[in-house]
Amino acid sequence: MQEQLKGIRDRVIQELSQAKDTSALEQLRVRVLGKKGELTEILRGMGKLPAELRPQMGQMVNSVREKLEEAISARQAELKEAEKNAKLAREVIDVTLPGKDRQAGSAHPITLVLNDLLEIFSGLGFMSVEGPEIEYDRYNFELLSVPKNHPARDAQDTFYVDDNVVLRSQTSPVQARVMTTQKPPIRIVSPGRVFRADELDATHSPVFHQFEGLCIDENITMGDLKGTLDEFARRMFGEGIKTRFRPSYFPFTEPSAEVDLTCANCHGAGCRMCKGTGWIEVLGAGMVNPHVLEMCGIDPGKYQGFAFGMGLERLAIIKYGIPDIRYLYENDVRFLSQFR
Amino acid sequence: MKVPMKWLKEYTPVSLTPEEYASRMIMTGTAVEEVAPVSGEIDNVVVGKLLSVEKHPDSDHLVICQVDVGGERPLQIVTGAPNVQAGDIVPVALNDSHLPGGVHIKTGKLRGVLSEGMLCSGPELEVPEGLYPHCGDKGILQFREEYAPGTDARDVLGIHDDVIDLEILANRPDLLSVWGVARESAAVLGVQCTIPEIQVEEKGEEAFPAKATVSVLDQELCPRYCARVIHNVKIGPSPMWMRERLHAAGVRPINNIVDITNYVMLETGHPMHAFDLSKVKEQAIVVRRAYPGEKLTTLDGKEYTLNDTMLVIADKQNATGLAGIMGGEESEITSDTADVLFECAAFDRASIRVTSRTLGIRTEASGRFERGVNPDTALDAVNRACQLVNELACGEVLPGVYDSRPEAPAKAPIVASVQRVASLTGVQIPGERMVEILSGLGFGCQLSGDTLTCVRPVWRQDLDGEADIAEEVLRLYGYDALPSTLMTGVTMPGGRSEAQQATDAARASLVARGFYETYSFSFVTPKWLANLPVPEDDKRRRWVSIRNPLGEDTSVMRTTLVPSMLQNVAFNLSRGTQELKLFECSTAFFRQGAGELAEEKPMLCIAMCGDKVDFYALRDAVYAVLERFGVKATISAGGDAYYHPGRKAIVTVRKEPVAQLGEIHPDYAAQFDIETRVYVAEIDMELLRAFRVAQPRVKPLPKYPAVTRDLALVVSEETGVGPLMDAIRKAAGHELERVELFDVYRGVQLGLGKKSAAFSLVFRAADRTMNEEDISKAMSKVLDVCKKQFDAQLRA
Repeated sequence: MQEQLKGIRDRVIQELSQAKDTSALEQLRVRVLGKKGELTEILRGMGKLPAELRPQMGQMVNSVREKLEEAISARQAELKEAEKNAKLAREVIDVTLPGKDRQAGSAHPITLVLNDLLEIFSGLGFMSVEGPEIEYDRYNFELLSVPKNHPARDAQDTFYVDDNVVLRSQTSPVQARVMTTQKPPIRIVSPGRVFRADELDATHSPVFHQFEGLCIDENITMGDLKGTLDEFARRMFGEGIKTRFRPSYFPFTEPSAEVDLTCANCHGAGCRMCKGTGWIEVLGAGMVNPHVLEMCGIDPGKYQGFAFGMGLERLAIIKYGIPDIRYLYENDVRFLSQFR
Repeated sequence: MKVPMKWLKEYTPVSLTPEEYASRMIMTGTAVEEVAPVSGEIDNVVVGKLLSVEKHPDSDHLVICQVDVGGERPLQIVTGAPNVQAGDIVPVALNDSHLPGGVHIKTGKLRGVLSEGMLCSGPELEVPEGLYPHCGDKGILQFREEYAPGTDARDVLGIHDDVIDLEILANRPDLLSVWGVARESAAVLGVQCTIPEIQVEEKGEEAFPAKATVSVLDQELCPRYCARVIHNVKIGPSPMWMRERLHAAGVRPINNIVDITNYVMLETGHPMHAFDLSKVKEQAIVVRRAYPGEKLTTLDGKEYTLNDTMLVIADKQNATGLAGIMGGEESEITSDTADVLFECAAFDRASIRVTSRTLGIRTEASGRFERGVNPDTALDAVNRACQLVNELACGEVLPGVYDSRPEAPAKAPIVASVQRVASLTGVQIPGERMVEILSGLGFGCQLSGDTLTCVRPVWRQDLDGEADIAEEVLRLYGYDALPSTLMTGVTMPGGRSEAQQATDAARASLVARGFYETYSFSFVTPKWLANLPVPEDDKRRRWVSIRNPLGEDTSVMRTTLVPSMLQNVAFNLSRGTQELKLFECSTAFFRQGAGELAEEKPMLCIAMCGDKVDFYALRDAVYAVLERFGVKATISAGGDAYYHPGRKAIVTVRKEPVAQLGEIHPDYAAQFDIETRVYVAEIDMELLRAFRVAQPRVKPLPKYPAVTRDLALVVSEETGVGPLMDAIRKAAGHELERVELFDVYRGVQLGLGKKSAAFSLVFRAADRTMNEEDISKAMSKVLDVCKKQFDAQLRA
């Protein structure tokens, strides 16, 4: 009997290594350890043995059984692992296949530039204010020190609805509205759509967008204007981009400045975009003309401040290298889809 | 303003290169368009003397010339010009020389004979008639004097100079003159400026009123009028130096008297006029407003009808010229003019501007008067013209001056504070330095403690306050000195406006769903709005028209974004993009009463087309936007006639129509040449924003399990699933967590015109596990309500 047990053990261990999968293994287990299995049969046959031999024999059978169970479960783990790996290997996919539902989509480049500006100027404490696009001549011009028949009106060919109502040619009327209704300190930006009677070509559009700023308090200096615009230049176009102020004239400000930025294309070295100067004209700015403050009901003896204005199209053109302003209004998806 | 450098240097020494000089001017506020040679591309053209002229052996019309050009040996040049002979002094283009129009001259052979250059005609050098005598003639240009061979021909022709083209700011009309630029340059460069002293030699009898009379009847439109009379005038060409300067500045030389008026205009900035006095009726000049309906024929032969806002120069009866704009034909200077009246006046700039616009006449003079001509220096200009008459010896200046305003009103000095200038600019400029700068600019300046008292120079009309003084000082001190500081004092809350935040939310939602944002013009063709199939009294027919549009196509403000959007769709389809998801956030404008502003409404327009989209995809996009605002929306069939009659819907929030959406009607799409199905939605952003619900507080997560029941209802085809679901929600009570549609089925066994809609209802109570009884009660109530409201049957 002892021989028989040993024979079973050795044979089963031999067969275990040949079991190809978990179901073959299970068959083997049932054949040996199941209710009608070989080992069970032996246990059953023990009744025929002399009583004094039974405990020893029983011990032997159990020991073989334990050994076999251990071996089977080890083999089972081995087979499961192999089967899992085989399954994973079968499940290889081509991860480079084109997707089924790519949702690209993007905001318009003018919006992107506007968002940058709002981010920068919100951080500097400027509140964004909007106003009507069809505006009274009074707000668009007169309160800004540009009376009727003033030659400065030539620079801004204006669309008229009637004698006193215009399509606003700048967003400055929003500033006039704020100055006539709020007390300083005032710190606002007024972004929005403006209109000028320019024929559409590569560099002009009769519809465009401005972003103007106004800051009035008791001790605002032109140095603060410079600092504010330096901050804008750096955050909008990157480190190393500086401003250069050149004297200029705007009826709304005194002193006035044209402000150039370091050419973002060549970083000041001089290139075709900046006509070799290293600078790009980007905005107009200055200290609010005391007459304007006075006309808007703010005491110029007590308050002073700065104002600036820039075109969003121009910023977008510079920032993204857009070759023609018409790209911005044609809405060709092949253009729009280049932004993110 | 074109300033010839040689002319400028007569008054102000400029030792810098033109480029360096330009850069200094730019940084002090005078932009420079370009610095260019007067001679254009001409180079390497010299004076040559023809030593001999022989026939070309192989040509009838060519001749071979030996030309002394000042070199070691004469050059051999072949020419076809008939007018050359030995001894002629002519311009010679040497080997490797350039002529106008990109012509490059090189040594070559003409019919086998070496030719080492080219003899030039006047037109080949583009020298205008009037600058150099006879230079418009055919054939080779003949120099009239014995210039040394080898002399640069540009010097002989008076075109050897650089011209700087300055862009003059609107507040600096004084810089529209060579003297003005000379003064400004001297201040910028820190050098002395020497303007000639004006002295007039007079001869004969008092001019006024014996020889002429002037009456100014409107002081308001003509604040100053100065006149002088020249007797025994001899008309002829002006001297070379004057012609050269006029030409360089872009003015055509004509004759001595006319050239003097132009020369003085360029020098002083004062437009002048010369009358042939004998042709002025009764030698009387009257400055008055035109009579209503008065007719006038100007120098260019055109007749105009005037009104009483316009100022004219007249004789005792008729208008003869438009003051400050254009003179009359009758009193024009001609070759036999003998008596001349010089006029130098100042006219009201607004009046000149309006007259010039109304009549559509723009001249050099009108442009200058519009920008502002200084009345205080008018007399100087007329005297300067007389001084030039003396110099050119082309007439006798009669004693006597007519001046309508001999006394200049005194102007109070500007008082400024050194400290306040510093606190405005942020730059600490010492008072002494300010005095130095202001004196350089021609101010009479006194510093007493902190107080600067500044008397303006007579040529500066643009200055009236401390801010002007700050600007003058700072621009010459250098804007580069501005420190870079940030505001001190009160801090302010910054941020986006509520409207911007609303637009941002809608935009973010659409961009995340793959939409591209578009920007279209606000003005459109009226056809688009007139053809919109909406009722006659619809608001969208109340558009605002632009009085001076660029064209018919851009003449009215849009009352809806839909047409522009369809145009964008059509444009992209025509460019081969078939799958489109677009949106635009912009304003719609509606006309209100006359003289009032328009009503402006922020709108959002969405469009989709392509194989992958349908009405429901559009509706999902609209709802995605609405969800950002937390509103409870209800959708029902309906909408404008430009939508497909069976595929359009209105979305309401609190019974207000916030949006409409649908497939565009094929007839309307056809107006944009669109043949494919386009889905469009319009959202009223103002209303949507008004209904915006703040983010609610969080609900605790459920503790008890949910119970799900399915329900299939058979209803008629016309029954909307939406209302059915609304009814289910209402009937099931608050313990219905959600209801979802999972199938719509149509089949013969249901009968014609019937459909079955299958829903899954999820119940959950907050305080207990729901039992069978709870659920059954709710379900039977749902069924009852659906039977009652929609005649729904439980599907067998």
